[in-house]
Amino acid sequence: MQLPESQIAVLETASADEATPVDALAAATDLPPETVTGAAFELEEEGLVAVAERVDETVSLTEEGEEYAERGLPEVRLYEAALEAGADADPAPMGQVIGNSGLEGAAVDIALSNYARKGYGSIEGGEITADPDAEPAADAEATALDELAGEGTLEEGDVLDQLERRGLVEVAESTVREVELTEQGVTELMAGVETAETVGQVTPELLTSGDWEDVEFAEYNVEADAETVEGGRVHVLREMSERVKDVLVGMGFEEMDGPHADADFWINDCLFMPQDHPARTHWDRFALEQPTHIDELPEDLVERVERAHREGVGDDGEGYHSPWDEDFARALALRGHTTSLSTRYLSGEQIGEIEPPARFFSVEKAYRNDTLDATHLLEFYQIEGWVMAEDLSVRDLMGTFEEFYAQFGITDIQFKPHYNPYTEPSFELFGTHPTTGELIEIGNSGIFREEMLEPLGVECDVMAWGLALERLAMLTTGAEDIRDLHGTLADLEFLRNAEVTY
Amino acid sequence: MPTVDIDPDELRELTGHEEKSDEELQEDLFGLGLEFEGWTDDDAFELEFAPDRLDRLSVEGVARSMRYQYGDSRGVHVPSTNGADWTIEVDDSVPDERPYVTGAVIRDVDLDEDGLDSLIQLQEKLHATMGRKRAKGAIGIHDLTMLKGRDALRASENASGDEPRASAATEGNPTIRYVGVEPDEDRFVPLDSDAELTPAEVLEEHQTGREYADLVSGYERYPAIYDDIGLFSFPPVINGRRTEVSTDSRDLFVEMTGTDQWTIDKMLNIVCYALAARGATLEDVRVEYPDGELVRPDLSTKTKRVAHDRIETLLGIDLDPDDVIDLAERSGLDATRIEDGATANNESTITPLEERDGLEERGGAEGSSESNANDAASTGELVYEVTIPPYRVDVLHPLDVIDDLGRAYGFNDLEPRYPEVGTVGGRHERSRLERAARTQLVGLGFEDLLNFHMIDEAQNYERLDVEPGEDAYGAGEPATIKEPYSEDYTMLRTWTLPSLLQVLENNTHRAYPQHLSEVGFAAELDDRENTGVAEGRHVGAVLADHEAGYEDAKARLQALARDFDVDLETPAADHPSFIPGRAADVVLDGENVGVVGEVHPKVLVEHDLEVPVAAFEFDLEALR
Repeated sequence: MQLPESQIAVLETASADEATPVDALAAATDLPPETVTGAAFELEEEGLVAVAERVDETVSLTEEGEEYAERGLPEVRLYEAALEAGADADPAPMGQVIGNSGLEGAAVDIALSNYARKGYGSIEGGEITADPDAEPAADAEATALDELAGEGTLEEGDVLDQLERRGLVEVAESTVREVELTEQGVTELMAGVETAETVGQVTPELLTSGDWEDVEFAEYNVEADAETVEGGRVHVLREMSERVKDVLVGMGFEEMDGPHADADFWINDCLFMPQDHPARTHWDRFALEQPTHIDELPEDLVERVERAHREGVGDDGEGYHSPWDEDFARALALRGHTTSLSTRYLSGEQIGEIEPPARFFSVEKAYRNDTLDATHLLEFYQIEGWVMAEDLSVRDLMGTFEEFYAQFGITDIQFKPHYNPYTEPSFELFGTHPTTGELIEIGNSGIFREEMLEPLGVECDVMAWGLALERLAMLTTGAEDIRDLHGTLADLEFLRNAEVTY
Repeated sequence: MPTVDIDPDELRELTGHEEKSDEELQEDLFGLGLEFEGWTDDDAFELEFAPDRLDRLSVEGVARSMRYQYGDSRGVHVPSTNGADWTIEVDDSVPDERPYVTGAVIRDVDLDEDGLDSLIQLQEKLHATMGRKRAKGAIGIHDLTMLKGRDALRASENASGDEPRASAATEGNPTIRYVGVEPDEDRFVPLDSDAELTPAEVLEEHQTGREYADLVSGYERYPAIYDDIGLFSFPPVINGRRTEVSTDSRDLFVEMTGTDQWTIDKMLNIVCYALAARGATLEDVRVEYPDGELVRPDLSTKTKRVAHDRIETLLGIDLDPDDVIDLAERSGLDATRIEDGATANNESTITPLEERDGLEERGGAEGSSESNANDAASTGELVYEVTIPPYRVDVLHPLDVIDDLGRAYGFNDLEPRYPEVGTVGGRHERSRLERAARTQLVGLGFEDLLNFHMIDEAQNYERLDVEPGEDAYGAGEPATIKEPYSEDYTMLRTWTLPSLLQVLENNTHRAYPQHLSEVGFAAELDDRENTGVAEGRHVGAVLADHEAGYEDAKARLQALARDFDVDLETPAADHPSFIPGRAADVVLDGENVGVVGEVHPKVLVEHDLEVPVAAFEFDLEALR
């Protein structure tokens, strides 16, 4: 029969008369023990050898144990120093004896606690006596240490237990495997075995020569861990944003793009937000110190927006009883929501007039001058989307958002009537957390008011919604601190270990 | 979101639904958009409310809405008022910044502790919302019996001939006067104080005075209200102690001052409705401006015309006209069918308003619907004339009526449907380019990052050894934040390298190599832009490991240039953030668009880095 080289070596070295330990086989065959073990198991499967296992205890000295083997047990050294000080006759001062013994630190306490236990003498009132009849040379513990230090072994028993308690020896268990030839093994060996060639690496020569047909490939431990590879990867929040964009493009939405630093006019006035609305005067607005104002706004649009604020739109409309000032509208800020993109697109300012029906979206940054903590960032990604068509109803709005959230495994959307200055009707969207089952707010939506659309020149209905991307990401990745996800405080380890989103 | 505290026992009493459990009430409140947030220390519900229905800022208003919800009330109710006895006379001296005043007299109130608490809460919540923290409207409520009007005074002490401000007040009627005073002209004892203080002293010494001092700090003359005894209120800051309301008060004088007549009149209506709900009688007050007179409270209703077709398309359901009228009445509105845009048969509730130039220019919109043609004119369409009660402040447009109808119908009873509207989706070109660049970088082994767009000056410039405006890539002038929340985020970053180095700095305990990249936003001042800010995307990359060098960065840059089919040249150039002799401009298709090199050791040490870092950064646009 043909066998790999290592198996033949083991087969030829093993004996049919007595079991040979793997270590002995390894020494005899000059193979690593793990190779011998592997070969032995392979041979056992063929029925050529028997592998027996037993558990061996090996006793070895700890660092402390080795020190005592070399320099003597502390209590023995103390006894010797006491004898020198004549403590066998008269009690001697302890400090002097300890000083002479050369013991230091913890060894002093060890010496004192074992001294009396072993009957070397007594310690009383700061003085030490030595029993002249004591026999340190016969100390069983010292003898055992010497034995172990000299590569000897130690039987189980009280002395071993005592040494283990003192932390001077360690008892380790190891599995010893022994290999013995079976009858079949002997038979095969008699009949003769040939070496099957094994190779490690597939080489160009091997392939071109055709030799690969005759060789056996060395087997690897295919279960062992390989080295860690840090490949490049897309940021987990970016993956989420790509996923959202995929879904929206699939639903027929076209992407918007526009300025981050923009005039309040586009961010708020075009949204029919009164200029004295708390959100516009509130400190969470990121007003710019430099530059301060936009150069130009479309004049006729400014006029129409101002009129809507002051007088409302339609025969039965009325405006806000609030001041309106163009200078205030021209002031620059980092956009508090990406709805500024929607107003730019709806007005025709960004890409020219848009004919209905149309769907637009963005997944872009918005800014809030607010607290930075585990659930709040100063900058976050807002998903913004709107649909423009004739005669849109609340039911269309509900159907669109149900479809969108269902793509992320969030079903059973609930619509809670809500108030926004720029939409009517308005709804907060609630959904069930896919793992915790908790009802959580996942967005804000509504149908844009006519006071907003008419000045922008839009003559049909537009429904819109928004939510924070991070919120969706925390929901689907289970991240607990939003700062792990986004920003310069990011932990590379977290990002490297984050599960891929798709 | 703002909250309001509502005592459930009071709610049961005022709705007449003693049988409702706390849980049932909470559920019914949720239906109104009032979300239960928790219990207060006084065992009241803390409810979160959306800031449109400001008529629900007290238990009386909430109870009214619930009675409509339960079907116990229907349609519009307007409390009656008795004729005016008292007058508020507005003096020429009133500060221009706060010219408007309104008021009402309330008789026979029966205020227990709960009632008084509710009134105080309503006042505070109105201040916080419509009143814009008292800037736009401020409420003062006084014990009427403590006020001495003109004829009471005349009867008793006719001798006080040195009346400072002569007035045209109606003879025989009690009058209070809204005037402007010099900051130290007069004294009174404010609430929560024992000392007589001048208005200026109140602003400095009294806690409430200090809190609201900003509201009047720019005024030359301070607003003040006098009766014949003297100064008793310093709006919008604080009332005097003399007229303080207690549970013993039976008759009240409510006055409001502000910057807009409509706003304070509406706030007054909400307060009047709340007190009327507790059984009080309302009494008109005459407001005499130098150039005309108003009678308040103005409890006239408004109307909106709503087309049946619009209701159906917006809600997406078919409705019977009777159903619409029913939904309106359940919302506390009245609706009348009119065809063909005809005017409703007139038992019109619209009362002609006092014409006053300037004063009423926006408060007087109520009358307008009668004279205007409407959307549905002459088409034979079914239209409703819907009457809006005087406590509603949120109905600006017929749409708002439709929202009410939808709520009464139950939005959650509507069946969602996907709109049959076909459109073609697509990515913006910039976003496709970003994604392509990111994909190539990841293929080159970079870990893609996503950093904040905001940063501080020290990190953006100093720690990279560059100066704002210096002629070095990335060192443009910054767009800066006016009142930054955090000193770490004071400007928009002008390049991405500072962010990437910061991530390296925060991750020195993590395994190397750290090859990080970012395709991200950067911005700098540029007066050629309409906003004054040039916003762009940069491709930034750092290679931090024990053997990182210039060639590692250049190799990857070359790969990118090849991927996007652009010519790359790297002429040697100095850049303060990089080691001299190991830095170059990034020239793509002949344009200098970035920098590549080995980061200077002083920058590395500044970021606590103990490994070399090679880096490059350039404008994404150059890959187009």
